[in-house]
Amino acid sequence: MLLSSETMDINFVRKVETLSGTSVRRCFQCGKCSAGCPMATFMEHPPNRVVRLLQLGQWQRILAGRSIWYCASCETCTTRCPNKVDLTSIMDALRKLSWDAEGPSKESYVQLANKLFLQNIRTYGRQYEMRLAAVFNVKSGQFLKDLMLGPKLITKGKLKMFHSKNKNMSEIEKIFSRIEEMRKKGEAL
Amino acid sequence: MTPKNIMNYAYYPGCSLHASAGEYDLSTRELFKALRIGLTEVPDWFCCGATPAHNVDELLSLSLCAKNLELAEQVEGDLAVACAACFSRLKTTQHVLVESDAKRKQVEKAIDAPVKLDSKVKHLLEILARDLGLERLAASVKKPLKDLKVACYYGCLLTRPNDVTNLDCVEAPTIMEDVLKAVGAETVAWTHRMECCGANFTLSRPGVVIQLTNSILESAKEAGADCVMVACPLCHGNLDIRQKEIEGVYSTEYGLPVFYITQLVGLAAGLSSDKLGLGALIVNPMPLLKEKQLL
Repeated sequence: MLLSSETMDINFVRKVETLSGTSVRRCFQCGKCSAGCPMATFMEHPPNRVVRLLQLGQWQRILAGRSIWYCASCETCTTRCPNKVDLTSIMDALRKLSWDAEGPSKESYVQLANKLFLQNIRTYGRQYEMRLAAVFNVKSGQFLKDLMLGPKLITKGKLKMFHSKNKNMSEIEKIFSRIEEMRKKGEAL
Repeated sequence: MTPKNIMNYAYYPGCSLHASAGEYDLSTRELFKALRIGLTEVPDWFCCGATPAHNVDELLSLSLCAKNLELAEQVEGDLAVACAACFSRLKTTQHVLVESDAKRKQVEKAIDAPVKLDSKVKHLLEILARDLGLERLAASVKKPLKDLKVACYYGCLLTRPNDVTNLDCVEAPTIMEDVLKAVGAETVAWTHRMECCGANFTLSRPGVVIQLTNSILESAKEAGADCVMVACPLCHGNLDIRQKEIEGVYSTEYGLPVFYITQLVGLAAGLSSDKLGLGALIVNPMPLLKEKQLL
C-alpha cells in the first residue's frame, strides 16, 4: 500500500509531530524499537506497529488500546532508532491526546496512577507516597494490593505516615492554573 | 574546626529520598561530608513531575522542572541530583527548551519568569567519578571492598537518551564499574545492567515489575554477583522491596542485597552502617558484609 496524505490522516499525524517534536513519517519499519522494547510483550501493538498504524491513519485503534499506557518511557527505542525518530516522545504525544479525550483506552490503572500522582503535586508539592498508594488501592478497588509489604516498610522507616506541604504551594498552584488558562485561550496544546 | 569543602553543590534530593529512599539521602549526605563535598539543599524544591507528568502533559512537566531549576539558582554551585528519574527530567527540560523556541515561550508564560538553562545538572555518579575524580576517590578509601562482587545496575534513565544525559556510552557504559573499582570492589559482567525494571508500574501494574525485575535478579545471580548496586530510588524499590515477593512467584531464592552507590562508596570510606542507613534495606546485607569483613 502506498502512503498518501489521505491514507495517513495527515492532520492527526501533524498534531502528533508538533507535540512530540519528531517525525512519524520518517519511520521505515525496521522494527529495532520493538526488538529492544522491554514492554513489547505486554502490548497489543509493539512500538513499530504503533507508528505503522499512525502512518495508515488508524490512530483510533491506538488511542483505544493498551499499548501507549504500557510504555515505560525507558528511552531504548529513541536511543536506537536509525532514523532518529523519537518514539518515546511520540508515545507521550499519543498518551496526551488519549488523556485529553478522557481515556478511550481500557487501560485504567496506569491512567489512575498518573492522575493521582499529578494531584499529589498540586496538593502537597512533593509526593506523599503513603497517600498515593492508599488512594490508588481504594480507587482501583484493590484494597489488599501490596498489603503484605506495608508492615515491613513501616518498620524500616520507608513509609512515612505524615507529610507536610511545601511552603511555596501558591507558586506551584499558579503553574497549574496558568497552564489551564493558556489551554483555554488556545495558546497551548 | 571542620576542614574546608573542596567543592560545593546545590542538592536536589527528589521526593523518594525524603520518603521510601531515606537511606539514599542519609548515605549521600554522610559520604559527601566525609569527602568534603558541600551539599546545600535547594530551598522549597518540589516534585519534578517524573514519568506521570511527561506521559500526559509535556508542558506541565517542562514547567515544573524549569521552576525547580530556577529555585536551584538561589544556591551556588552545579545542581547535584540523586534520582535517575529527576536527573532525566531536569536534563530533558534543558534539552527541549534549548531546541524549541515555541516550547520555551510557553514554559516562560507558565512559570512567569525567564527560563535559566545554563546551570549544570549532574548526577551524583558524575560528581564522584569526574568532578572529584577516581584518583581522589581511591585516595579516600579506608576499607577497600575486597572480594565483593557487585553487579552494577544502570537502569534506563542515567544514560538514555545519550544526547540528553551525556553521562557515558549509551550501550556500554562503565562509569559505575569505574567508581567501584576505584574503591576496591570487583564488578561482574552481566546481561541485564541496562534493562528496564518497570519503574513506576510498581504502583499501577506490579505484575509487570515482578516479571522484568525477576530477569534482572536472575541475570545478576547467574553472573556470580554477591549484590547489586543502583543509583536510582525506583530501581532500588523494585529490586529490593519486591525481591522476596519475586522469589515467591518464581519459587527461587536470590538473596541479593541491593545497595545504593553512596552506601558502597561510603563503606569503603570507612563510614558506619548507621550513617549509611544499611538497616533500612529490606534484603538484609549484614551477613554478606560480615562474611567479607566489611563491617
